[in-house]
Amino acid sequence: MRRGVRIQNLGGALAVLLHRPHPTVQALTRQLEAIGLNVAIAWPELPPTSLAADFVFFDADMGHSAQFPWPEGEPPVPLIALIGSEAPGRIEWSLLAGAHAQLLKPVGDSGAYSALLIARAAFDAQHAMQAKIEDLQNRVNARMTVVKAVMRLAARGKSEAEAYAQLRHMAMAWRISFEEAAERIVGPDASDERDAQ
Amino acid sequence: MATYLSTALDATLSPAHGDIIIWHYRQLAFTPHDLIGTLQPQVSGAFFVSWVHMMRRIELGLLYSRSGDYSLISEACRSGSLGAVALVNADPDIDLTFVPVERDPGGDVDLYAPLCDEILRQTSARHVIGCVTSWSRKEVIPTLEASGGTLWYAVPYEGFEASDHVVYTHACPNQHLLPLLEWALPTYGRRAFLTGSNYIWGWEMNRLARGALTGAGGQVLGERYLPIGSVDIDRIIEEIEATEPDFVLNSLIGRSSYQFLRAYHDLGKRDRRFLPQTRPVLSCNMTECELPAIGSAADGLIAAGPYFQGGGTDWHGPGTFGSSHEAAAFTAVWELARLLAHRPGSEVLSLSNLMRTDAAKGSRIDHQTHHTALPTLIARANAGRFEVIQAHEAIAGDPYLTHPRPARDIRAALRVVS
Repeated sequence: MRRGVRIQNLGGALAVLLHRPHPTVQALTRQLEAIGLNVAIAWPELPPTSLAADFVFFDADMGHSAQFPWPEGEPPVPLIALIGSEAPGRIEWSLLAGAHAQLLKPVGDSGAYSALLIARAAFDAQHAMQAKIEDLQNRVNARMTVVKAVMRLAARGKSEAEAYAQLRHMAMAWRISFEEAAERIVGPDASDERDAQ
Repeated sequence: MATYLSTALDATLSPAHGDIIIWHYRQLAFTPHDLIGTLQPQVSGAFFVSWVHMMRRIELGLLYSRSGDYSLISEACRSGSLGAVALVNADPDIDLTFVPVERDPGGDVDLYAPLCDEILRQTSARHVIGCVTSWSRKEVIPTLEASGGTLWYAVPYEGFEASDHVVYTHACPNQHLLPLLEWALPTYGRRAFLTGSNYIWGWEMNRLARGALTGAGGQVLGERYLPIGSVDIDRIIEEIEATEPDFVLNSLIGRSSYQFLRAYHDLGKRDRRFLPQTRPVLSCNMTECELPAIGSAADGLIAAGPYFQGGGTDWHGPGTFGSSHEAAAFTAVWELARLLAHRPGSEVLSLSNLMRTDAAKGSRIDHQTHHTALPTLIARANAGRFEVIQAHEAIAGDPYLTHPRPARDIRAALRVVS
């Protein structure tokens, strides 16, 4: 799959830097502001406003999971690790935290821009994938409902194939998914059976 | 003269000037006795000593390739730099003299970093005026970072950079490419052919052009690259002939570009469909300094730039210039002199610290991006000159294109029409 890199809407985006006061913060702030972002610096905890951030950079050296105001590994924004020590334990924790990109410390003159683009592309890809998985999961879960709906329609004297085609036409006419149409035909009790699977 | 004398005397009395290290005395164009004669006898001795001591000798790096593929641009930049050095050195109101320290990479991209390093390590220069291609600029940035030096870059480039060690005195895409396309699309049409030299300038310019074109409902009919120095343009000409684009955006450089323009001119002579009035070639890097290499084949070429000779612009600083390359290099030296003047010791500051001094407050150099606010002129080449078609007021450089484009009233923008 080929995706274009979104670059136009970095202007005015908010980046929160979760890092203790350090020259790296200064260098990163300079880069981000030159790119056109607004920067907020936080330590040791992310303030509630960070949920509205567009990017979060975090200290992979001194950080820990309790600093993030979201379930572990499920950041609601693109997350970028600031890695100083390349110790495997710290890298593992950065991955568990859900980092989408990384930037090596000491941060100098460059690196922030590519980290922003890569993190957002990874974040978007992850979410698109998640949405697709949820959709497929729902369809798998609805298999029993579909079978019951087809049987119910077939019980009115249609062949299985005709019943199936009728269900598809109903879904199209109602402008809902095949699975949702099946659920309407079977009735609310279908959900109990779905849960039982 | 009166202003100068009082400034000099104020400086004389200031204790901050007492411990200036002096390497060299300035060559004087007039005798100090002429000055001393205007002063009271009890002041003159002290004034003379301090005045000579105030002449700070500051080495200034120049890193331009005087041979190789893009030497015409190098020469224009070099001449702008040296012109400004001469003017600074002759200006009695400026308490410093620049001493150029030159290195010539000869067009070899691998020599830029070592030669820049040589300037920064073997001389006292902390500022280097130089580089033409983005490739060479990116090569020297790690060296600048390591030594805390500053590069003044006086050539249009493709943006997406804001180094803490580079000042960009020529235009970036929101100051050249985007206004050029905003004008060209309604004028000629939305079907474009893109050419470029095979490195970051061509690639990124064409990526931006593609984005702007498709965003405006336009179309890219072809996109072709040549290695720097290649003159193998027949295939590109054939593809243009076959696709009949409304215009060609040419981001080739040096000999490739000259050869392309000559071949496209020949095509126009053979086939009227490709005359520049109907299907022009557009450029964001062509200035007067390269026109002699192309001759009449350049006629009809449309270029965007911050300055054209006699173009009636609000270009800052004194003087008129042969091209925007010369103007941007001149401005680099002139602005550096302004930032360093009357601030002994400031010549060793890093760029970020220099931009924190009071002198930087009125600068056209942006404190965050180190880009320069510049006007945009769109001009047509004719008989060795550029005639301005459209002029836009100066806007800040927006290297990452993260700021909204200025809403322009197209009628108001049509200030100059030829």
